[in-house]
Amino acid sequence: MIPVVNDSLARGPAARSPGYRLSPTLALGLSVAAITLGMLLPPTHLPSHAALVCVLLAALSLARVPFGMVARRLAIFLGFALLFAVSVPLSQGFRGGWEIAQGILFRGVESFLSGLWLVSVVPFDRLLATLRRLGVPTILVAILAFMYRFLFVLWKELDTMRAARRARTFDQAGLIFRWRNSAQMIGMLLIRSLGRSERVYGAMCARGWDGTVRTLDE
Amino acid sequence: MHVQDGFLSPEVCAATGAIAAAAVGYSVYKLRDGVSDRVVPLTGMTAAMIFAGQMVNFPIGLPVSGHLIGGVLAGMILGPWAGCLAVTMVLVVQRFLFSDGGLFTLGANILHMAVIGSIGGYAIVSIVRRFFKKPKVGAIVGSVVASWLTVVAASALFCLEFRLSHPAGAFEFRNIFALMVAIHSLIGVGEALITAAIVSFVLAQRPDLILGQTSASADTAMAGVGRVTAAGIVVALCIGAFLSPFKSTLDDGLEHVSEVQGFAELRHSAWAFFADYDKIPLFSGQWQGLSVSVAGVVGTLSVLLLALAFGRAVSPRSKVAEAGRE
Repeated sequence: MIPVVNDSLARGPAARSPGYRLSPTLALGLSVAAITLGMLLPPTHLPSHAALVCVLLAALSLARVPFGMVARRLAIFLGFALLFAVSVPLSQGFRGGWEIAQGILFRGVESFLSGLWLVSVVPFDRLLATLRRLGVPTILVAILAFMYRFLFVLWKELDTMRAARRARTFDQAGLIFRWRNSAQMIGMLLIRSLGRSERVYGAMCARGWDGTVRTLDE
Repeated sequence: MHVQDGFLSPEVCAATGAIAAAAVGYSVYKLRDGVSDRVVPLTGMTAAMIFAGQMVNFPIGLPVSGHLIGGVLAGMILGPWAGCLAVTMVLVVQRFLFSDGGLFTLGANILHMAVIGSIGGYAIVSIVRRFFKKPKVGAIVGSVVASWLTVVAASALFCLEFRLSHPAGAFEFRNIFALMVAIHSLIGVGEALITAAIVSFVLAQRPDLILGQTSASADTAMAGVGRVTAAGIVVALCIGAFLSPFKSTLDDGLEHVSEVQGFAELRHSAWAFFADYDKIPLFSGQWQGLSVSVAGVVGTLSVLLLALAFGRAVSPRSKVAEAGRE
């Protein structure tokens, strides 16, 4: 389990990191360019992919992302990517498919690292403004902004519920009990968050919300 | 479940992206008719709830624990269109905030989890519910059926995309089809159990959220034709998933040729343990499709066993638990 709430990425980039001054559109473009380059390179050409990964790691260190965090998240990512990549040769009885597995692994890692770099140089709210400028419908951006705002509130609520559960069960319960317990926790979170959304909606109406999104930069 | 960049070719990414954009656009269009000022807080909050709910672990005795996917749940709470938007938002935030899932494959992920999960899932639930007199039982059974079907259908669709992404004859697609579908049948069982447990808990506490006239899904119901079509597509994908190993032995001559030409020299490699399964009399001819499925299941189980052994070896929790018992 990743302690998401304490994750520095979730809190946004360090204000002093050099990439922070990049324009969000440029950062988005660079990130897309890195992924595109990874897809254009031949899947099995090790040096070129290694070079791209090194460039991305250098960019991450320039953006002052803690190395330990990158390593930890990369390890989690690699676990899943390896499992899938190996399943291609595995399904062939290990007679072929290694090239495809290699391509999947390299490109996956490159895309993952460039995504990490993007969020570590552009704060999420500025990314949302950029998406809006690029023509994403306002209602989608508004839902995204709303979701981003309440994500951390709900995580905190979930942490509280988890702490209460640990206090009661000491994590020593049987498998079936724990499944039921986890599902009930999500169900409780669902009921509470729908109630919360009603209250927030009421508060928004009281402040003149009529369904149109207005932002400060307009 | 997330498709990373590198799995699919640019053409397939473009096609899936276009379909996903059309589906999301249609969802926005449908929601504009109804109560549009309510959509932002309700959908945004449900999306945040599903994201948070995905952080809750469901231990399966392995280092990787299961978690909720949530497409069917979102469809049942919000209705097909807002549910589709909510899951789309979850995927977008996962991509842009946590680098989870590819950028070019975002369309494919939206198609698999938001479109099939929420729109297809809602359609299946609402059809299954009609067969039960007690609405609560109908909702629970519907959530089980829809969760399993949508997960398997998504994996079948992924295999189709994967196949279109690589030149014919690059490797045997039947096998990866069988492996993927076998794994996702198991994942589907987990998702069905989790969704049903959540739904039955909500039904016990606040039945109006799922059944009542005040529930959000009642506002944005789906037309009968659309419902049958959406459910039909999901079911067809599932049937295709389980029939494909049988079917392709009969009509896919191209793969056979490429196999004979491309892999003939590799047959006697050291890895030929699984390679010669079709020489066993029972598994030859028309039974080959079945044998592919069996090989897939055996492969899945062996991967799971390996992961279990690995997990037991490195898990710090088991040591703590043992120390506690002493």
